[in-house]
Amino acid sequence: MAYVATRGGERAIAQSERLYRAELGQIDAARVDTLRKTLPMLIDRVMGEASLYEPDLAALALAQAGGDLYEAVLLLRAWRTTQPRLSIAEPVLQDRLFTHRRISAAFKDIPGGQILGPSLDYAHRLLATDVLRGRPFTPAPVDPAPTPAPACQPSLAAWQKAHGLVADPAPVEVAPDDIPDLTREPLLFPAKRAHTLQSLARADTGGMLALGYSAMRGYGSAHPTVNELRLAEAEVRVRHPRGTVFSAGRVKVSQAEVTSKGKSGLLELGFCATLGWNEVKVISGATLDLNARGAAKGSPVEEEFFLYHTEPVEASGFCIHFKLPHYVTFQSSLDALRGAKAAPAPTKPEQVPA
Amino acid sequence: MTLATLTKPWAAFSYGFLDASAKREMRRKMLKAIAVPGCQMPYASREVPMARGWGTGGLQVTLTLLKPSSSVKVIDQGADDSVNAASIRSFLSKVSGAAETWDTQAATLIQSRHRIPEERLRADQVLVLQVPNPEPLRPVEPNMSVARQMHADADYGRLWLILYEQMVRSGRIMEGAAYPALVNRRHVMTPSPIPRWDVPKLHMAEHLTFLSAGREKRLYAVPPFTQVEPLVFSDVPYQVEDHGALRCHRSGVTGYYMNEIPQDNGGSVFELSDSNLGIKAIRRAEGAQVEIGPTWYENGKMPQ
Repeated sequence: MAYVATRGGERAIAQSERLYRAELGQIDAARVDTLRKTLPMLIDRVMGEASLYEPDLAALALAQAGGDLYEAVLLLRAWRTTQPRLSIAEPVLQDRLFTHRRISAAFKDIPGGQILGPSLDYAHRLLATDVLRGRPFTPAPVDPAPTPAPACQPSLAAWQKAHGLVADPAPVEVAPDDIPDLTREPLLFPAKRAHTLQSLARADTGGMLALGYSAMRGYGSAHPTVNELRLAEAEVRVRHPRGTVFSAGRVKVSQAEVTSKGKSGLLELGFCATLGWNEVKVISGATLDLNARGAAKGSPVEEEFFLYHTEPVEASGFCIHFKLPHYVTFQSSLDALRGAKAAPAPTKPEQVPA
Repeated sequence: MTLATLTKPWAAFSYGFLDASAKREMRRKMLKAIAVPGCQMPYASREVPMARGWGTGGLQVTLTLLKPSSSVKVIDQGADDSVNAASIRSFLSKVSGAAETWDTQAATLIQSRHRIPEERLRADQVLVLQVPNPEPLRPVEPNMSVARQMHADADYGRLWLILYEQMVRSGRIMEGAAYPALVNRRHVMTPSPIPRWDVPKLHMAEHLTFLSAGREKRLYAVPPFTQVEPLVFSDVPYQVEDHGALRCHRSGVTGYYMNEIPQDNGGSVFELSDSNLGIKAIRRAEGAQVEIGPTWYENGKMPQ
């Protein structure tokens, strides 16, 4: 049986996994709890890419993966896909969002007002090194505004539409139960609008930034102006079998709407929304969406190009698969290579007299 | 009557991991794939507890076909004990209760990456090939929606052109593994990255083959007794790897696809790529009663 002795097979993979997990140590509820409480932005990012809003599970996935984001997203996706779809929630409307932060770069002030909300945008990025010397960093308390901003804000695009400034494609009426579901159907092109938005919502943040940034730098034709960026909480309203509509809870959502003047002479909008608060992702996604119309095949702002290549589970999985043995295919290429060397040189074309 | 009598007891996962709605979609797409040989069928491709690119497409087909009485063999590069094959095989048996086997003869279901076993498959066996890239037109047309239109039009001219250009440049066709083949005289498919050695095994085979790409969300099939013809010019015969005369340094067997193992002395030795065939040959040489089935290749040649 010497034939197989050189390969470890089952034992090798078991021990390799143990070695990895030994480094992470015991995972308990306290660790998961700490991760959830202390890393909300990371939890949000993972929930968005997993398209599963469950902070405890997201924290568990991060703990189990030791912080490897792609592993964490895969863990959540593989769990999510086994769960039944119990109900389809009512559409979330912009002016019903419980808005924490809402800014527009298009106007100095907008109906409803600019609301900065929580942000590090204007913070000085200085490491609080004192923390490592035993002096904890305690954030200064927030002074509440004398008059709180209203919880709900109108949509800026609605104002622009009322003034005839925005290209306003007719909405496609779809019954809630018939909304195409990317997790149950393949993505084909030209993509259904619902598939595009779902695909953007669960795209890889880093991948989306890379392609979105390429469009912003000039590989896309449209320069985005942030029409409206929102961080909000959305009520998940579902219908009880008895018919009553009730709130099943709130989820954090972020959305960006970017705009530029289109060929029609009207403003065109690009849109992206995702579960959790993730500003870089929605601005990049909306920029890609804005540039997608009429994009050349194979350009980074073509829908097929950016949606396929920002799918985190597919992209990361394929990347790491190159670690798998490929010696059968390599052997096949070697054979062709040696065959070409051994073959007589291709015959020279006959000299045709001038 | 209570609700409890009408429902199944709670279980963490469905039988065979995939839930009923996923399996239903798989069955429909698999039947469709059989009905139009070689034509890529898009499917939802659920996430499974393995990374994309690691056999998730093959896995979904296998999980749909598995039953407790199945006997499943999984190989990677021809080897049953390759790490990923071992991982997939143990997952399959864990979620289905199916028996695991290394023996090609004993298997009812074979999931494979990059190889078709050397022993002939029978009509009662199903082969599932893992596919990284299902699109034979990818080298000439990376855009999937354009490529789909080209398949609809049987527009394969550019594929012939690259084969021709290889001949002009290198004096021979330079395709390695994943050699494109015309199925049922209609659709060009990539047979997955199996070596050229294995492609003729699919032609008019007794068994059913599924090819499934989980990441790219496409599956296709070669039903039994279907023509599978590698793309070749009428005056340039199809060339399999020149392995017919190589000898396995472990089992002494000749006439099959080999792995080349570079040696310290600058040379190479060869070993059978179909590792279970190698094990059986060694055990037989040691005097054990081992059944080796008829092989596709005889004396290093594929009978016409």
